[in-house]
Amino acid sequence: MNTRTALIGVALVVVAVVLFVVLSGNDSSSDTTINANTPGNEAGSSGNGNGKETETEPKPQVTKIVVGKDGKPVGGVAEITVNQGDEIHFEVESAVAEEVHVHGYDLMKDVPAGGTVSFEFPAEIEGIFEAELEGRGEQILELKVEP
Amino acid sequence: MAHALAARQDLPIPAWLFAWAASIVLIVSFFVLSAAWREPKLEDERPRPLGQRLSAILLGLPVQALCGAVGVFLLGFAVYAGLEGTEAPDRNFALTFLFVTCWLGFPFFSAIFGDIFRPFNPWRAVGRAVGAGFAAIAGQRAAHAAYPERLGRWPAAIGLLAVVWLEVIYGASGGVAVGLDPHAAGVAALVYSVYTLAMMAVFGVEEWCQRGEIFSVYFGMFARLGIFGAREGRLERRRPFSAATTWATVPGSAAVVIASIASTSYDGASEGAFKDGIESVFNRLADTGMDLTQALRLTDTIFMLACFGGVALVYLLGVRGMRTVPGAPSFAKLRTGFAHTLIPIALAYLVAHYFSLFVFQEQAQFGYLLSDPLGTGHTDLFGTAGSGIDFKVLSANAIWYVQVGALIAGHVIGLTLAHDRALVYWPDYRKATASQYWMLAVMVAFTCFGLYLLSVSNG
Repeated sequence: MNTRTALIGVALVVVAVVLFVVLSGNDSSSDTTINANTPGNEAGSSGNGNGKETETEPKPQVTKIVVGKDGKPVGGVAEITVNQGDEIHFEVESAVAEEVHVHGYDLMKDVPAGGTVSFEFPAEIEGIFEAELEGRGEQILELKVEP
Repeated sequence: MAHALAARQDLPIPAWLFAWAASIVLIVSFFVLSAAWREPKLEDERPRPLGQRLSAILLGLPVQALCGAVGVFLLGFAVYAGLEGTEAPDRNFALTFLFVTCWLGFPFFSAIFGDIFRPFNPWRAVGRAVGAGFAAIAGQRAAHAAYPERLGRWPAAIGLLAVVWLEVIYGASGGVAVGLDPHAAGVAALVYSVYTLAMMAVFGVEEWCQRGEIFSVYFGMFARLGIFGAREGRLERRRPFSAATTWATVPGSAAVVIASIASTSYDGASEGAFKDGIESVFNRLADTGMDLTQALRLTDTIFMLACFGGVALVYLLGVRGMRTVPGAPSFAKLRTGFAHTLIPIALAYLVAHYFSLFVFQEQAQFGYLLSDPLGTGHTDLFGTAGSGIDFKVLSANAIWYVQVGALIAGHVIGLTLAHDRALVYWPDYRKATASQYWMLAVMVAFTCFGLYLLSVSNG
């Protein structure tokens, strides 16, 4: 009887593992959805800071991040996913004067109000990194470097 | 926490590794259970004293006083840095020292070297010095109120949740990706110092350290896993994990270890597995017209308490299940009797979630934070103010294997402790094994939950 109980337990966990693998497969495919831009929705984006609006670009393209007058990224925090060794290339066009800081890689560049600044560097360090507007502490990009 | 300090966050463990790890957990579980372990082996610590001279030096007054002074100095310095230094969390000595070097370092190293926090405990050092001063002047030892036995370690359990609340909920609710600011951490340390010294004055220094002082109880819990201890002025070596078997006899101990697992789970899940749930509750609260910061704090608090309730429920269900095996002791006895089996799981959760943060932030601690503790940009005490953190020291693969390895090891040790305790309650080997299918379910649940948390993308 105990063996049977145990076997049922094993079966349950195996089912859970299989389910997880199947579900996580779905997750990664839905990640590539590009959501419509919703500029300047302050009520929705100010409270949680890490809104759902994400945007994934295929790697050869240059990701463009637009920062509005409110100092927030238009359409929410952008997302770039690359493999280690790939080239990362993105541009920040900002309506406000700020300093853009890529954490982990520790790159900083000033952008004047109305100006554009471009980042191009090899993805050497694996992990998840933020780029933010240093003065405001506002995240504008999530950078994922996978092995 | 991740937001406050970590410039690099861990990638989620990939599904294939998750599946392998979960399978290994299952296979190992059955191997451990069916192994020829038919008599309790861990109940007896079998202490063997270490060298007399070593004990005399390390436990003697000069070294103890020195350690205490170091502890008081470092706490004072952290408070000073928090109050006077920069508000940038990653450039201020206070946050990394308090929440990474101490809060994570002591659990990791206590499990290896024993209760190393005890000599450095700044409040204990102050309390003992004041007590000695009082005795010298008054000619008698200070009288203390009797500690209410039923209160047990509950003050520490609640305090543990409060520390994590301060760290990951209070700080993170500003809406910006900054986290707890150093000033708040400094004030919190001051408030806690006043509270602790007052409690020590009421109940006595050692009594409060064993029951109510959050950090003594919490770090001391992990020290029970290791082979080094001290008893009656003598250092000793004991069987690994054996000292854990007597840890949970004080009421409220189960709550401490459950609080540890729950708070680590919450911190890991708040940006991953729980993210959507938190968002939806937050939006509902915000719709009622509640202040956004308050709404976010309330939401986070609800989820953290839910974590505590969930972890407690899984444990209590396992205990309830054991009651069904003939000859079982009372529910209360089982609940206390198996609480220590969760300590290795709690440590495994800590290692899995914070190991990489610890490796990265300690480079800052012993690099630029040591030379420029206030983060002014003008100080360079040891010539390391310009140093940075080398994020390449750990590859994503290395982090994944440490995380999975920690969870599997914690699971095996927890299971072994539970099996050993079952043999005490059910001298019949078969009944003990039957009762352990319940603990097996609990352990597998915690380990797979831990793996699941690490596998959910926090994107």
